Amino acid sequence: MSARAGALLLVVVVAVAGSTVAADRPELELGVESLSYETTETRLNRGNVLGLADTEELLRATFDGKQALGDARAVFRGYVQRTIGGAAASTDWTVRQAYLQYGWGSGLQLRIGKQRIAWGSGFAWNPTNRVEPAKNPLNTSLEQEGAWAARMDWVPAPWAGVILVAARSDTEPGDLPFAAPAQTRRTAALRARFLVKDTDVAAVFSGGKGQRTLLGLDVGRSVGGTLTAHVEAALYRGAELQPPRDDRSYTRVVAGVLQTRGDDALSLEYFYNGEGYTSAAADVYLATLDATSARALDPSLPPAARAQAASAYAAAAVVPYGGGLGLRRHYLQAAWTRTWSGGKWSLSARGTAGLADGGVAFTPGASYAPRGDVTLNLDAIVPLGPAASEYRLAPLRAAVQARARVIF
Amino acid sequence: MSNLLLAVLLFAETPDATAILKRADRAVLGERAIYTMRMTVERPGKPARVVDMKGWKKGDGQGLLRYTAPPKERGTAYLRSGDNTWLYLPNAEKVVRVGSKQNFGGGDFSNGDIFRLSLVDDYVPTLAGEETIEGQACYKLDLKAKDRSVAYDRVLYWVRSDGTYYPVRTEYYTISGRKLKWLTLSDVQRLGQRARPTRLLMESALDRGARTELQFLTIEDEPAIDDRLFAPSALERGQ
Repeated sequence: MSARAGALLLVVVVAVAGSTVAADRPELELGVESLSYETTETRLNRGNVLGLADTEELLRATFDGKQALGDARAVFRGYVQRTIGGAAASTDWTVRQAYLQYGWGSGLQLRIGKQRIAWGSGFAWNPTNRVEPAKNPLNTSLEQEGAWAARMDWVPAPWAGVILVAARSDTEPGDLPFAAPAQTRRTAALRARFLVKDTDVAAVFSGGKGQRTLLGLDVGRSVGGTLTAHVEAALYRGAELQPPRDDRSYTRVVAGVLQTRGDDALSLEYFYNGEGYTSAAADVYLATLDATSARALDPSLPPAARAQAASAYAAAAVVPYGGGLGLRRHYLQAAWTRTWSGGKWSLSARGTAGLADGGVAFTPGASYAPRGDVTLNLDAIVPLGPAASEYRLAPLRAAVQARARVIF
Repeated sequence: MSNLLLAVLLFAETPDATAILKRADRAVLGERAIYTMRMTVERPGKPARVVDMKGWKKGDGQGLLRYTAPPKERGTAYLRSGDNTWLYLPNAEKVVRVGSKQNFGGGDFSNGDIFRLSLVDDYVPTLAGEETIEGQACYKLDLKAKDRSVAYDRVLYWVRSDGTYYPVRTEYYTISGRKLKWLTLSDVQRLGQRARPTRLLMESALDRGARTELQFLTIEDEPAIDDRLFAPSALERGQ
């Protein structure tokens, strides 16, 4: 159904682009992406239950198209992917975005289809966001896949805005060389945003099938000539990580600053994950993993018991990728970007640290644009820190992403 | 007697500093405008960065600029409302609040320079005499910031005294008297409904050879613009 709808939107984009009605020039972009992962066995991948080869590769051909026609706009972004290595070499295609948009003046806009919905002021974490699929926990810089949604933007005044969204998304994060648990989430969400005394203030409400009802608050303002600050907070009842803990309320808070000066941009963000595991709870979680994997691999047990243990192990091993925002309670991310040579070159470095366990996901990157319509990107992901830390538990030793785009 | 009469006449013909500043504020862009322009950022020994933009302006407090070229930067947009500035990043599809003193687009103009061409609200002007600048007879205005929130503590401003009130040169200083940069306005030509300076060149006093040029390409004067165009959520719309 989703693929059909995406194909339909692609046809619409192409048809509109080729129509004789006065329209802006279509924007087309072709690209190649390669994601190469060096894998390893960790406590989340005992005995290589994920069936990973030493090197897993995702090779993609991407296509983006946009066409504006008066107040209407059609967008398609997608890719065909070849998975190389491991047990499941395959070719498939994914619609990242496919939507139609129409605006009635500056006050009202409707967008329908698969779309990105930026929801919250946080950079690395958005605790009020229940409308998009989960981000890749190792690399928050990757392009996000959208959610199937209907979105209405109403702007009654320049200082006020309301966004209403009805969305259906999978909680499975993309861009990983193994299958993470997918759970469909249907969400209704409202975001009322105001500009009050030079401060952005937004109240958020979201709820729906397969998730917790959430209240959120988002605040942002300038705190100096080149410095801005933001706080995004969510309050909800019942945990999203296992166990469910239905009778307790939890908060998640992101607080950060952004400094932009000259060709440099530097951001620092702290994330408090109220339902995250304490050190004792994390130890219990890891001990459970070890015990179930030992039973699954124990030749003295009957096959049925081993299969049952393997199933329990697999369920526990994918918890870090299950759509939560992190296993532990305290995180810090620092990111830096600098451009050179009139914007042709840019370098970036991003480090996301789990403060409770000392794990770090380090993501250096470089971008080169030899011409105004060509960009080349190279990024790496390197998990660092103690072996039992969250980012080192991922069955990846390192990853490299290479991307090339040509814009027409 | 005749000298006294001449002096009285000259005094009568010389408007006060605030009046000069108000006229100069509106000499490039009026109260409302829709325009296109090209920004060229030059750094010594490096290739120039050229960006085309479309802009909307309403009053002194509201402005929107969208990059239209090169293709890799198309869709990037800056919004200014009062003292607030937001940046729309099309690749991340995200609106980010940025500081008003941040350099605009990696050039030598700050966000405040770009969106708040008017100086009359932020500075107290004094007429400091008349000088010839860039071959033009000019009033020289000495502007002092009304408070510390303003981007520059002192500004020297030269405005043509031939009745056109076209600004010719602006110099920006810190509170210690250090010159930060200077702006030269030139290429007076008819664009839209009237003649005006169409080339703005900002040169850095701190980074020798660093300069940024803004060249107006088209200007539509006094169009009807809905205030709601200047709402942050409108940034995501993409036009």
